Parts: sequence; C-alpha cells; structure tokens
Amino acid sequence: MKQISLYADRNSFVHDLDPISKLYYILFSILVPVILPSISVTLICSFLSIILLLLAKVFKKALPVFLLVFIVLITVVIIQGLFRPGNETIFLKIGPAVFYKEGLLYALKVTLRVTDIVGAFLILVLTTKPSDLVESLVRRGLSPRIGYVVISVFQIIPEMTSTMSTIMDAQRARGLETEGNLITRIKAFIPLLGPVVLGSLVNTKERAMALEVRGFNAQGNKTFLNEEKTSVLSKPIQLGLLLIVVMAFVWRLLT
Amino acid sequence: MTKIIADNLKYKYPLSDKLALDNISFKVEKGEFIGIIGANKAGKSTLCQALTGLVPHFYKGAYGGKVFVDGLEVKEHSIAEISLKAGIVFQNPFTQMTGSKMTVYEEIAFGLENLGIAREEMQKQIDHAMELMDIASLKERNPFDLSGGQMQRLAIASIIAMNPEIIVLDEPTSQLDPEGSEEVFLAVQLLSRQGVTVIMAEHKMEKVAKYCDRILLLYNGEIIDFDTPGKIFSRDDLKQYGVVPPIFTSVCRELGVKKSGTDEYPVTLEEARAALGRKVK
Repeated sequence: MKQISLYADRNSFVHDLDPISKLYYILFSILVPVILPSISVTLICSFLSIILLLLAKVFKKALPVFLLVFIVLITVVIIQGLFRPGNETIFLKIGPAVFYKEGLLYALKVTLRVTDIVGAFLILVLTTKPSDLVESLVRRGLSPRIGYVVISVFQIIPEMTSTMSTIMDAQRARGLETEGNLITRIKAFIPLLGPVVLGSLVNTKERAMALEVRGFNAQGNKTFLNEEKTSVLSKPIQLGLLLIVVMAFVWRLLT
Repeated sequence: MTKIIADNLKYKYPLSDKLALDNISFKVEKGEFIGIIGANKAGKSTLCQALTGLVPHFYKGAYGGKVFVDGLEVKEHSIAEISLKAGIVFQNPFTQMTGSKMTVYEEIAFGLENLGIAREEMQKQIDHAMELMDIASLKERNPFDLSGGQMQRLAIASIIAMNPEIIVLDEPTSQLDPEGSEEVFLAVQLLSRQGVTVIMAEHKMEKVAKYCDRILLLYNGEIIDFDTPGKIFSRDDLKQYGVVPPIFTSVCRELGVKKSGTDEYPVTLEEARAALGRKVK
C-alpha cells in the first residue's frame, strides 16, 4: 500500500512516546529560542532535536528534508551576509562580494532556529503514525470530522493517483499521445481531467453514504478501539517541557 | 415477526420530474432472504437506500408513504439510528473503505467507534464479524491491499459488526469476478441462516434464483410482483420488464419441462436436473 506519510517504523523510546508529548516538544522548540534569542540557546535546542532524531533511528530519513531546507537557507546566508542593514565588520571577501560578521551571525541564528523547528516537526512526523496523532487529538476534543479529513488524505490521495494512472494507461492504449514535448503533455492532461474529477466526485458521494451508514454522524460520545498510547515518561516530559518554557519566560522578564 | 414494512412509499429525487419509487408496499419477515430484480433504472438502488434511511435523509427529495424497519419509521429517525437496525452494503467495495484505517481490524471497528460501543464489546463483535465473513486471516492487512471479493466481504463484515437485524445489499457482486461473487453469496447465505433478514438487489439471476426465498420484481419504480423465484421466473412477460430468467429456466421453458406437480419452470440447476430426469453436465 502506497502511503504519503513519512512515518518510519522503528523501535525506539521516541516512537513509544505519545503524540501529545511530541507536540509539547514542538511548542518548546519554537518558544524557547524565541523567548531567549541567544545563539547558544538555539544551538542547544537544535542539537537536542538532532540527538532525538538520531536516538529515534530516523536521522537518515530526516536528512533529505534538512538538505532541502538548507538549500533555501543558503540564500538567507548570502543575502544577510552581504546586505543586512547594520552590517559593519567585514568577515570575508570573495572577489567583489563582501560578507559582514553581523549579517552572518544573524543568518546563523535563523539557520539554527529553522533546524531546531524542522527537527522538532520531523521528530513528530517520522516517529508518529498519522492515525495515532489524529486519534490523540480527537480524544482531546478535535472534531472527528476534521480528524477524518486529515487522516483519510494519507490513503485516499495515493489511491486517486493510482486511479489517475489507470485512466492515463487506458487513454494511451487508445492512441492518446501522452509523452513528448510540453504542448503534447498539456494536451494529454485535458482529457484526463473529466474522468478523474467526475470519478472523484462520485467516489466521494459513495464514500459519504458508506460513512453515514456506519454512524459517522451519530450523536453521543465516540469510543476508540485502541487504548491511548501513553508512557510513564509522558507526564514528566510534558510537565518538564512546560516548566522550561515558563522558566525561560521568567528569566527573560527578570534579565 | 415482520422486520420491514413499506406502505405506499413514493419518492422523487431532487431535480427529477419522475417518481423513482411509486406506490411501493410490501412486508418482509424475520430471516427472509429477499432478492430485488429489475432492469436498470427500475428503482432497485433507490429502494435499498429507502430501507436504510439514505432516502430521504441523504438524498432529500419528495417523499411520501411510510417505511418501518424493525419498528422504526425511517423518515422520523436519523441514519445513525437506523444503522443499528439495518445496514447497507454498496456496489463498489473500494468506496466503502473509510480510508482512515490502516488495518482490516480497525476498519471494521470504525462504525462501532462512532456508535460509542465499549472496547471489550467492540472486540467481540469484530471477531464475530470476521469469523462469519472468513476474513480473520486478513486482520492485519491494509484494506486497500485486498482483492475485490475480500474487500466486499470486509465491507459486509463492517456492517455485520454493528449487529443489525437487517442487511441490505445493493448489487454487491457487480464489480466482482465469479469467484468473488460466490464468496459474497455464500457469506450472505450464512447470515440469512443465522436469522439476519437479507435484502439484496442483484442482476445475477442464477444466483438470485438459487439463494433467495422471495423476489421483488421492480419496473419503473413500481412493484410488478413479489413472490417465490419459481413463480417470478415462470412469468411469460419477464422480457418486457428487462429481466432475463436463469439459463435453466429458459432451457426448460424451451423444452416445455415444468417442475413436477406445479405450474412453474425449474429455476436452479438442481431443479432442472430433477425435472429433466437426467444428469445435466
């Protein structure tokens, strides 16, 4: 079964943690470097995210995402290093390009923050089944309808893609040119739209009926087949993270 | 014990000028296996949906008359309430998968979770439904990885797990190969033997003749006849209602061979064999 989820099934204590604790961690990773905007704090947070990714045995899967992010961040380094208002101290000269210390330090801070936040999100995404995450949120009051929409996307989109390739194959089998230059490809795309869009609408109606007859809109409280994933560490971790955020806030106010 | 009562049911889809169901009245007793047959657009699917509340709650439109399902008047109760009494299985097994569950076991649990069934009870009902539909070995598989026949049996199991006394099947085998169709029919027959009332709209007349206790013949939204397979398929005017009788009936009709002591033609292979008095290969 094709899935668009990035979840990587591994055996680690990070995987065993409940999704809500991981959401707390994301909040912590965003708030602490904002409250205490020093490079050392951001550096510690970034390292923490990377260490957790390593411990969860998913760092290899996180690398392509980091690479993609770093490609974008290179532009930040270049632009801030060259042109940031307040640039005074020359750090490096490469031909006519002059990089300034102030701009580069700012770019470093941005890079570290982004690494930290992306790392925290990756911990959640790579070590949590989407269904577990949504179920945890539904238990805490998220509308089951919204939960369903979020979760069904992971399976229904790949199914729609495979339906689309079947339709394309059928059209190709009947002589439609689908390969070649851009114009040919665009032309081949138009006859695909009708069956895909109409087919999806019909499927959606049928699925809506199937959901209705399985009590999707039933009044009253839902129950859950699976017991909620909790670990003895969940509460201490959540409280600890919250405490650090509060302490950071107090520290900032006092200094 | 009467499980379904339709009393002068009339229904028109929104934006349509024509009645999809017109003056439909019939009764079904507990444990009966009823087949609904008729040409395309005869109203089979609409009738199936009217028995489970999708008409008028999902489709809206103009509605008249009354339908009672296990004592509940369909129009006065929500689809979720009716789903506890009557479940429905549709043609396309793929669109009946919720798409939100990763395993067959969780897929069956979906309806029970919505209805707020306690976990222990839920597990019991899921195990029972899986056993009945012979899909226990598929428990951990992803629903979308199953074959058409397996997926349709999963769809039926998902409905059975909700423990309805009535199960309505709207052409459940139309997209399945012969093997898949036979799997579904055998599973439904088993249910019927356990006392579940079964209503099935179907085009495969040999199967309808073999498995159903009574057949409802529809044409243009009206009931033409409601009787045993022998009586229905022995009608001379079936062709004008767009129904082709089972091959055994057609052959025996050509040969002028009727079931002994009746005015009916054989409708199954066994009946034809007996009537012809020789082995048919």
